[in-house]
Amino acid sequence: MNTLSRFALAILATAWFTTAALAAGPSYRLEVAGLACPFCAYGIEKKLNAVKGVERLETNIKEGTVIVTMKDGVTLDKATAEQAVKDAGFTLNGFKQVSPGDSQ
Amino acid sequence: MTSERTTLRCTVTFAIGFALQLVAMGVLREAQAAPMTFNTALPVADGEFIFREQAILEQSGNDPSSAARDFTVWSAVSVLGYGVSADVALFAAVPYVDKRLKLTESGSRRARGARGLGDVRLFGRYTAFRKDWPGHTFRIAPFAGVETPTGDDDRTDVFGRLPADVQPGSGSWDPFAGLVLTYQTLDYQIDAQAGYQANTKANGFAFGDVAQLDASLQYRLWPRALGPGVPGFLYGVLEANLVHNDKNESGGADDSSSGGTSLFLVPGLQYVSKRWIVEAAVQVPVLQRLNGTALENDYVVRAGFRVNF
Repeated sequence: MNTLSRFALAILATAWFTTAALAAGPSYRLEVAGLACPFCAYGIEKKLNAVKGVERLETNIKEGTVIVTMKDGVTLDKATAEQAVKDAGFTLNGFKQVSPGDSQ
Repeated sequence: MTSERTTLRCTVTFAIGFALQLVAMGVLREAQAAPMTFNTALPVADGEFIFREQAILEQSGNDPSSAARDFTVWSAVSVLGYGVSADVALFAAVPYVDKRLKLTESGSRRARGARGLGDVRLFGRYTAFRKDWPGHTFRIAPFAGVETPTGDDDRTDVFGRLPADVQPGSGSWDPFAGLVLTYQTLDYQIDAQAGYQANTKANGFAFGDVAQLDASLQYRLWPRALGPGVPGFLYGVLEANLVHNDKNESGGADDSSSGGTSLFLVPGLQYVSKRWIVEAAVQVPVLQRLNGTALENDYVVRAGFRVNF
């Protein structure tokens, strides 16, 4: 593969990732009280993943937070997030929309 | 006739001696979460399943009687937990057992044993109290259930009917109940449990009732410092089981060589990730005040895994 081909491939990859990122919808920071072990985190993630329109999740067990990124054009309301966390056996302690890259 | 009486005496003695071991190590443990030898109050998410498999080797010897009994039990216990709601979980524990007894009877060394499905345990747990804070939680959960007579209790060999403790099942419906408390932080977890099992009669025999107190401390050994994401945790585990068994009853009379009080310490390791747990521990008896010639427990080795799905 010559230099020109590598450059073209890099451009395509960058474009794909950028498009994917821009296509994602809003993100929300959920503070989950009671989350203190990895095994429990799975139950929370599974319940949140079952919410319609969820694109991806990023759990931070040290902070006790889950960043929920929705699909483009879909929003997450607090009541839905609260129910999902409750169904997992935990307590929603905080809920706010965050901008991309402001996950902490 | 004399030989039959001798066989019967040895059989009853054996049954009495091992009732303590089996009940102590088997009836009050559960499969859902953190401790390895008993229950926890941590949740099973609504509509979700947890599966646990545990292999158990129980070895007993040091027989105070002339029978020189040596008893080995291999068990594989499969447990399925289901979250009916965030506060209510149902569990089914299905054991497969392989029991081998060597003893001296009528002047000769004999080997007796049986393998097969054991007694299935069905129970439910309700989270009666829950307080969550950032990074830690405290829960209290009563539980209750029944040990069902799914295992055979009428196996025989060339020497006749097997002793009750060598049978794969008890033949009786045995209700149990208890209370478990859990305090979990990011660094450590403490569990404590009190339980009681009322063993009923089958075929003229009843294992003694069992009262048990358990405690468990899990301390995160690795990673020492938490970073972002959800890393796996390696816990060092130390548990304790204080078990009191009533005397067994056979033919309407208490057996004086059954029952007693035992204390076990259980060091172990447990690796916990989001989807699975692998764990191993050794139960070491540190105190065994048993009645008559009841057989002492040497050790119990446990190893297994749990899966979230």
